[in-house]
Parts: sequence; C-alpha cells; structure tokens
Amino acid sequence: MSLVNLSHVCSHIQNASKARLGLTSVPSSNLILALALSLQKSGFISNVKRGGLEPPPSLSGQALPFSALDEEPVTQQNIASRRLWLGLKYWNNEPVLSKMSMVSKPTRRVWMNAEDLSKIVRGRNAGYVKGLTKPGECLFVTTDQGIMEARECVRRKLGGMLLCRAF
Amino acid sequence: MSVSRPARCLFARASSAIPTAAQPSPMLGRLFSTTAAQCTRRRVKVGSLKASEMGNLVKEPAPVTSNLYKPYTKAEKAALAKRYTPEQIRAIEAGEEAVDTEDLATQGTIRNDPFGLRYVDDLSHRHAVVDKPVRNPESNYDPKMRLKTEREFGEDVTQWFKDLPEEPDKADWLKFKDNVRHYVGKEEAERAPVNYTAPKINKFNDPELRYHKAGDETDPQLLRLMQQTGLSEMRIKRLRVKNLVRHRVVNQTRMGKVASMYYLSVAGNGDGLLGIGEGKAQEAEDARKQAEMAAIRNMQPITRYESRTIYGEVEGKVSATELKLMARPPGFGLRCQHRIFEMAKCAGITDLAAKVTRSRNPMNTVKAAFEALKSQRRPEDIARARGKKFVDVRKVYYGGQV
Repeated sequence: MSLVNLSHVCSHIQNASKARLGLTSVPSSNLILALALSLQKSGFISNVKRGGLEPPPSLSGQALPFSALDEEPVTQQNIASRRLWLGLKYWNNEPVLSKMSMVSKPTRRVWMNAEDLSKIVRGRNAGYVKGLTKPGECLFVTTDQGIMEARECVRRKLGGMLLCRAF
Repeated sequence: MSVSRPARCLFARASSAIPTAAQPSPMLGRLFSTTAAQCTRRRVKVGSLKASEMGNLVKEPAPVTSNLYKPYTKAEKAALAKRYTPEQIRAIEAGEEAVDTEDLATQGTIRNDPFGLRYVDDLSHRHAVVDKPVRNPESNYDPKMRLKTEREFGEDVTQWFKDLPEEPDKADWLKFKDNVRHYVGKEEAERAPVNYTAPKINKFNDPELRYHKAGDETDPQLLRLMQQTGLSEMRIKRLRVKNLVRHRVVNQTRMGKVASMYYLSVAGNGDGLLGIGEGKAQEAEDARKQAEMAAIRNMQPITRYESRTIYGEVEGKVSATELKLMARPPGFGLRCQHRIFEMAKCAGITDLAAKVTRSRNPMNTVKAAFEALKSQRRPEDIARARGKKFVDVRKVYYGGQV
C-alpha cells in the first residue's frame, strides 16, 4: 500500500479541477476507490465509476445514468486496464475541490488517535499536523473501519492514518 | 426725597390704623419703599382714540358685491347642464345660495390692515410649532379611575350579548370591541384624557437634506466620483480613507529623469465595504486625490463573520508577498501590522490576526491582504456547492442571541 499512487491521485484531481475538466480518471485500486467514495460522500465529486480506458457511457453522455452498459464486468483480461472515472464539481464558476494535498507522505506516515483528531477538527494543531482552519476543509483518515472523514472519526472515537486534506 | 420718609415707613403699620393725608390709600398698608405708590404716579392723560377719530389710515375699497359675484345667467346654466347631472346642478345651486356674496367680498380677501398677518397662512389648520395646542380640559381627570375587573368585563360582554340583534354580524363585535370601556370612572377620563405633552412636530428625517448656499460648487472630480458611485457628498466625506503607501518614483526618459509621487490608499465605510486605489502624478496632492478616489470607486463588499472577523483562515499572494489572515474570537482585537490594521478598520473588522510570510513589500502587502479578504468563501456557499445541509447551531441553540 504505497502512498505514491495516492499522492499522484491528489495532484491529478487538483490539476483537473484547475483545468475545469468535467470528468477525469485515476488508477483503480481499493484505497483510491475508498477515498473517492468518501470524497463523493463529502460532496467534493459527483460520480465515481469504474471503467476502462474510455469513460463509462453514462458519464461520457452516451447513455442514461444507471445504464446497464456501465456494468462492464471486471475480468482477468481487462483488470489491468480498469480505471476510476470521477465526475468533478463546479459551483459559481469555482471548483468545489480546489485543493487536495497529502498529510502522510510515502516516506513518513502520520497516525493519530481520536483525541488528537478532535483537536485538529476544532482547528488546533496536533503534532506536526495543522488544524482544519479553513471553512469547509476536510481531512480523510484511513481507519480499521474504512476511510472516513476526520469529523466522522472523532464522532466514532476512532484513530488512524491521515491520508489527505481537501477543501 | 425727604429724610422723614423712611422713618414714616417704619411706623407705617402702626399708623396705618389712622388714615392720614400722607398715606395714599388704606389698601396699600405698609410702605417699605421711598418710591411713590403706583396709583399716585402721574400719568399722561391721553384718552383712547377710536379708529374713526384717527382718520382713515388704511384705505379700504368698499366691497362692490353686485359686480363681483353675479348669479348664473340662463346661457351659463344651460352650459352647466351639459356637463353636470341634474343632482350636481342642484348641489351647485345650493352652494351658491348658502354662501353670502358679501361675506365672500369682505372675508375672502387678503387683509392689508395693520392687524392683519404679515404672512400668508391657512388658519383653518393648527400648526404644532406656532399655534397653541388644543388640550382636553383638566376636568376630564378622574383620580378614582381604575381598571375594570374580570367580572366587570364579563358583565359588559353579557350585556352586549343580550343586546345583540337577531342576526348579528361581524360589525357588531367590532363596534363593541372599539367602544367597550376598560376603566371604571369618568367616561371622558378614559376617552379624552388630559395630556400635557407637546404635540408631535413632523420632522424631515432626511440626512441628505442640507442647506446649500448659492455659489457653492463641488469639485468637478468629486462630482464625477459622486456620479460614478451614486454616493452623495455627505456619504463620501464620511468614508474612512487612509493613505498607506507613498513614495517617489522616477521615469528615466531621453530628456532626463521625470519624478512623480505614488500613493496607495484604502477606503471603507467601516461596515463591510473596502477598496484600494493607486494614484501617480507629478504633484503629490494630485496623486493622493487620484488614489483616494480610485479606492472609493473600487469599494466592494467584504464577507465578515458576525460583522467582526473573517471566515476561517484565508491566504493572499501578490508577487513574492504571501500572507495569511486568521479569524479570531470576540475581543481579540486587531493583532496585525499597521497596513492590514488600517484595512481592517476601514472594512469594519475588529478581530483579526495576520502573518505576512516571505516578502513584506508595503504595496504588495496591501494588495495581497485585499485579495485575501476578497477570496473568503462563505460556509453557506460551500455547503450549497457540496450539496450539504448547513445549519448555524449557535443561531439554533441560543435563539439567534449570539
């Protein structure tokens, strides 16, 4: 579970948002999928769909949403070419996800317990990690119960490894 | 003045019982003053004169009523009949009959006698400032007046209910509601109480209303600014304007060095509006004016949290100057460098912390701080963009009192 790929994903989404793309693809892996789903849950992105080198028909406008064509089964032949297709959001001529950066680095991972996470959520610094001081800033944490937002972790009294922050 | 007078005054009471020639009147009693009593003072005997005896000071033309107000002729009546209905014609005729033509001639004119008013006034209306107010008589006051008890009210309602006609309608209830008495005692004490307060004077509550002298001309630049911004002169003068940066700049030309002055100003209304403007001219005064007017023209609303601080943390960057503005709790004050302090003052921000990282170029600091203040995102917008429900819990829990 290298964080190198995740770092690339963060930069890629940020760049795609700056370029005002409506749709972008990232490599498909369980970690990235889980992060993409929690981003969607937080409202940063509109769609997460697994597809091939081409976007799924519903996302590229060739089919209706929830179309059966989207469900291309993953087989041993095509698994290497699978990618995650993300729908990016914009509001008032501004990208909804304007900045996304890693907290843990491939060479230095950061773990935090629920107590310290609650400090971060309240805008205080904990350890070497800066608090969530910008309005609407989110921190994604991977825990033994899956990837979730830092506020959710505090609510559930869970600690974990800090992945990335987004706003 | 005779020397004997004071001594006589001292004995006045004693001697008052015996009326003498020295005492002017038994009514005066004791005299403590050497001045003669008023009634004994000599007065110039001039009898009062009647107006007729004084001669005709003001020539009043004798009213000629017959020529002024003639009754309608038959032709006029026919013309009126074309325009008005018979009922209206009858009303007109009644009006003509009711008003005496002599009254019209004598009273319907502007008086020019010495006792007439020197100004034109409609005396049928009372003026709160000039005229004596009409007050209810003091006899209306009833010291024994008291509020009715619930029982007495109940009796009133029962009585009203009994007196209701067969088919009552809403007007009956309204009439009762408006006329029912709340107090026991004199009726006029409740209906027309004595009131000693002065009558209300209508005021022109317009802050823009000002007396202008003839020949008062506004500066053409200011006039242009007023037209561009739609602000009045008063408003513009009330704005808070500060010159934050001022330095000399030089343009090297073929002919030599041309020096000018550069100004950077900020303007704000102290309540959420802020603008910055630059000005450059060979004369310092011109440059300053340019900068100030540009700042006023550039004013735009700044998002503020609770009208005192900013939303969260914002960053601004202009050239190599990078800075961070941070929201702070109430009462924190403005803990930032003087230029950002002045900007916060102009914008009406009272709690703020700032940190200028990297370059601290004064010009770019002001510009970066302005960018940072403008780049704030409101939580409502963020929630809307992400499709989330957003509630300010402070407003919910404390009933919006915070």
